[in-house]
Amino acid sequence: MTRWIRWSAPAALAISISAPAHAVQYLSIAQAQRQAFPGATFAEVQGGRVWKAESGGRLLGYFVFDRVIGKHLYIDYAVSVDPSGRVRRVDILEYRESYGGEVRSPSWLAQFVGKTAGSALAVGQDIRNISGATLSSEHIAQGVKRILLAYGGRGR
Amino acid sequence: MAAVGASAPASVLRGAPVRRARPLLGTFAEVAVAPCVRADAAVDAAFDAVERVHALMSFHDPQSDVSRLNRDAGAGAVAVDALTFDVLAAAAELNRRSNGSFNITVAPVLQSLGLLPGSPEKAQPLQDAVELLPDRRVRFRRPGVRIDLGGIAKGFAVDRAVGVLREHGVAAGLVNAGGDLYGFGPHAHAIDIRDPGDPALLLTRVEVRNQALASTAGRFDPLRGREVEDCAVIDPRSCEPVRVVLGASVRAPSCMIADALTKVVMIAREDAGPILDHYGASALIVARGGELCATADWQDAGSNLAH
Repeated sequence: MTRWIRWSAPAALAISISAPAHAVQYLSIAQAQRQAFPGATFAEVQGGRVWKAESGGRLLGYFVFDRVIGKHLYIDYAVSVDPSGRVRRVDILEYRESYGGEVRSPSWLAQFVGKTAGSALAVGQDIRNISGATLSSEHIAQGVKRILLAYGGRGR
Repeated sequence: MAAVGASAPASVLRGAPVRRARPLLGTFAEVAVAPCVRADAAVDAAFDAVERVHALMSFHDPQSDVSRLNRDAGAGAVAVDALTFDVLAAAAELNRRSNGSFNITVAPVLQSLGLLPGSPEKAQPLQDAVELLPDRRVRFRRPGVRIDLGGIAKGFAVDRAVGVLREHGVAAGLVNAGGDLYGFGPHAHAIDIRDPGDPALLLTRVEVRNQALASTAGRFDPLRGREVEDCAVIDPRSCEPVRVVLGASVRAPSCMIADALTKVVMIAREDAGPILDHYGASALIVARGGELCATADWQDAGSNLAH
């Protein structure tokens, strides 16, 4: 028989922990290029934004860097398009969200924060894993569509 | 470009973990593995597994098994992929064991609320509307039935990705699809749970080890602000979004089960005890007024030593 434990609403004390809210750098542009088109050479078509990937004089596709920016969020991502205009892959390069830096913490919850192995939440020391409300990736999907309209037909 | 965390070791994945993210399943899917030979290949294969589930079970993609079923299964049996069939079978069992709280035929209600595209023929979800036949064929018992696997497929995709990582010999890793996640390896992974009432805050931190954690709450988009919208969990009896509970998190042996049980817990609340017991799961519930309610084993359930 499952036993439930209840806590009625205590004052929502926010305990500040020194952390960037939620920021991860996954890949640099160069790393993402190498992963999307292994062994290719890259020629810049549009400064800092579009590269042509070639191997032995043969066009492999285009690599397009883009960024979504909002008040509390920015996401760098890259779309790799093959010569037929098809998306090969979409990689998130960097994700930065200004939310999630503090713990709403009745004391019973607070006791668990920081209790974990190697959980030093200092800048650059730890990468956060977050669960909670699902974030929509719709803005990235819209960006990919825009990029396909602009670059999807180039190789044909 | 600022590189916070770029070369820093994660708490559990010591050394320089390989950590990648892609927009999949309508959210951000992230795969992180401990450094190992061919880590990049393992991560790519894990994303391929997630993409495969996305391609089979997307409500939006007209080529998916789910779309084919919604078009044709009301008129006659439709053969589906073995993965889709497995998820439908799990969904049927969850429907039965949750006394109807978990119901994949709420798609027309989600459509009528604008949470899924298209206009429904009728909005009433049905119990036991999906008939599973031999040879992976599926038939709807009535025309007009529409299914959405959004309440279970993300978790299933996470489980598939974890299976692929393990097949590749990865010793420790974490797969996180928009907050539905599974962490494995010799050490526990620390997970911060967002406060469903205010996504700018964290509610608590838990550890998972060879275990899944899934959360459901109202949606918010940090591009726009910190306002939390109604959640997309529909009570099949009232056909209304759940409003009494703000959010729920479930820990379970598999992410598919954890994902599905978050919906059951949102709807059934404390009455979900028996089904949580059955699946070896524990839960944390945040009510609209801010009260918290958790199964007694919530904080101790972290370390699941068996693989």
